[in-house]
Amino acid sequence: MKKDFKANLDKIFYPDSVAVVGTNKVVGTVPHDILKNILDADFNGVVYPVSPRERFVAGIKAYKYVTDIPDPVDLAIIVFPSSVVHLALEQCGQKGIKAVIIISAGFKEVGGEGIEREKRVKAIADKYGMSIIGPNCLGVINTDARSKINASFARRMPEEGTIAFLSQSGALCTAVLDYAYAKHIGFSKFISFGNKADVTEIDLLYYLKDDPKTKVILMYLEEVKDGPGLMKAAREVIKSGKPVLILKSGRTSEGASAAASHTGSMAGSDEVCDAAFRQAGIIRCQNVDEMFNIAIAFAYQPIPKSNRVAIITNAGGPGVLTTDAAIHDGLELAKFSDETTAILKKNLPATANIKNPVDVIGDARADRYSVALTAAFKDPAVDGVFVILTPQSMTEIDLIAREIAKVAHHYNKPVYSSFMGEADVAQGIDVLQRNKIPHYTLPESMCRAFATVYHFSQNQKEVPKPAPVFQDVDDARVEEIIQEVKNAGKHYLTEDLSDELLKAYGLPIVESVLASTEDEAVQKAESLGYPVVMKVVSDEIVHKSEAGGVILNIRSDQEVKAAYKTIFKNAKTYDTHAKVKGVLIEQMIPEGEEVILGLNRDNSFGPVLMFGLGGIYVEVFKDVSFRVAPLQTSDAEHMIEETRSARILHGVRGHAPRDLDKIVECILRLSQLAVNHPYIQELDINPLIVRDKGKGAFVADARIMIKHE
Amino acid sequence: MEKKEVQERVKKVVANVLKMDPEEIFEDANFIFDLGADSMQSLELVAAFEEEFDIEMDEDKALSVQTVADAVEFISSYVS
Repeated sequence: MKKDFKANLDKIFYPDSVAVVGTNKVVGTVPHDILKNILDADFNGVVYPVSPRERFVAGIKAYKYVTDIPDPVDLAIIVFPSSVVHLALEQCGQKGIKAVIIISAGFKEVGGEGIEREKRVKAIADKYGMSIIGPNCLGVINTDARSKINASFARRMPEEGTIAFLSQSGALCTAVLDYAYAKHIGFSKFISFGNKADVTEIDLLYYLKDDPKTKVILMYLEEVKDGPGLMKAAREVIKSGKPVLILKSGRTSEGASAAASHTGSMAGSDEVCDAAFRQAGIIRCQNVDEMFNIAIAFAYQPIPKSNRVAIITNAGGPGVLTTDAAIHDGLELAKFSDETTAILKKNLPATANIKNPVDVIGDARADRYSVALTAAFKDPAVDGVFVILTPQSMTEIDLIAREIAKVAHHYNKPVYSSFMGEADVAQGIDVLQRNKIPHYTLPESMCRAFATVYHFSQNQKEVPKPAPVFQDVDDARVEEIIQEVKNAGKHYLTEDLSDELLKAYGLPIVESVLASTEDEAVQKAESLGYPVVMKVVSDEIVHKSEAGGVILNIRSDQEVKAAYKTIFKNAKTYDTHAKVKGVLIEQMIPEGEEVILGLNRDNSFGPVLMFGLGGIYVEVFKDVSFRVAPLQTSDAEHMIEETRSARILHGVRGHAPRDLDKIVECILRLSQLAVNHPYIQELDINPLIVRDKGKGAFVADARIMIKHE
Repeated sequence: MEKKEVQERVKKVVANVLKMDPEEIFEDANFIFDLGADSMQSLELVAAFEEEFDIEMDEDKALSVQTVADAVEFISSYVS
């Protein structure tokens, strides 16, 4: 049956009636506590306990089966053991319930029979057009007064807020709720989606995009099943103005070691995930602290119009620390207007520093903070204020916190705070947190949060440049080559076929010819014109340089003959079984910068392109960047710019800039190739020799691997 | 032993352990979903069946039995 996700999810978050299926009277067990949490949170609807044996639970009449309930039920929360969940779910389907949360564990996460149980549950959901959250989850919380439902076994109902939190891990949810409670952080929706057998993080992102109560979306993810789907959903959410912050675990490089190409060995799952998130505009966080540091900045304060900030402090050292951190994160210290300077001069002691960072001096009470803060807010050159406080014997910690909240209330500019210390400043921090003034233990975290919010707003303004669709490509020839290699039972393309394939996609290939005898080699080298390069052609030899199968800068007939013999001898020494078809003779490529372009396929995100400084350096410096295909032109440009070697390509120490436009074109052609030809598993162009601006580039060496299935 | 007899005695044991009226125990009843047995009661049921029929059952297999009818079949394989 067709599912109406939006309507079904509405019933999960805003049900008029809820059945807790499989509940009992045993306090301290999940089946009981879920019911109790719904009652305690003052749910704005009707609750039906469903229990095989109890006549009532928590003083409410209980039904043996969900089908016995005389009235319609919007949401069922199933808490039965996993072995009978399908029975309960089937009855929910018969009852016409479209929204279900399965709390029970014992499904895919336990393997074996659990996998089958999960498949059965999904099949029932599809049969009745139901949407299911879970199984194996903590549940769902909606703080919106219209619903006020705590359909979870968390210990407490969080405060109402504008942050939505989604998590694959239920246990992390409980930790986050406790963390947030201590910091007075509220939530709009709180969702533990567990095994995501039916409703996934992608469905939830689309739902939250249109949720008027949600301003910021946070997510904890353990696995990405549908990378492109996640990127598409995130892009739409972000386009609507809501930032998406993801804490993704599993930062390992598993799988990378098994990869055959340079790109494969560099493109570990985590690097790809990083790149894909960046490409989609997702803010990836390293830990819970960082996630909430950024989230509260988005949730509590206006977006800064520029990166110019004012720092107000009562101590020199922390002021300098904050300045350093701000500059490091790309922020600027605002230059105060004459009016601001005059106000500060008039109202602060002579020993105070009236320039940015403003030092109101250690003995400052609330009045000095108030003056400085008001002056900073009023200054048109200031688009954000950082307030630093260190607890000195005369410091009015609580009063200053209240003053910050009071003054900030009158201005549409962001203010962040850092009350440094722990015990003495605790009460002041509490005041700030209750008044939704973002507080940070470390000035560095404060600057990072501000910079992240600022960059997010800048990225929102960027108009992406779409990629051209190259019409001069020969897809039929590429398919023929792939088929030819598959028919021969091979995985790697020989160099001549690699060149031909890349040529069919308009990549700049150096003129080359195959010679199978020494005399033919001499003749063909002469016709190409010296100097030339000679390379071994053998299906068995993939790493030609390693096998001594590449000789550069050959300048005469004699040198061609000598090179021919050397290459054959080296090939046989490297692999006695190697069948050498001959040598490839190429024009020597003129001087240029070596870069690497690569293609690999990621299990979650699909085709991934790589760019970096080429030659042997790619593995030493790992100065590479990734993007998921298909790429926009702006993606290809960002890919180059985010590497350290971009500076070299722009021209350093008087050297002319290189042909960056040609690199962008090559990346975009590879992107089109990757999308149109899924049988190309891995591809390295290493190096691509990039000449000076306007003079193009050449593929000096390439390796292409195809997959058979 | 006749299956009918096994059936009657199984119902009697279930009624005793779960403290229910034997009339409420229908043949297709699922121990957890219909009769509300929890994990402790499931263990008690296995022990009570062993005592009633003077048999020793494979505990893992016994615990995977879901319905009264399945229990009758399972116990019959021991007593016949």
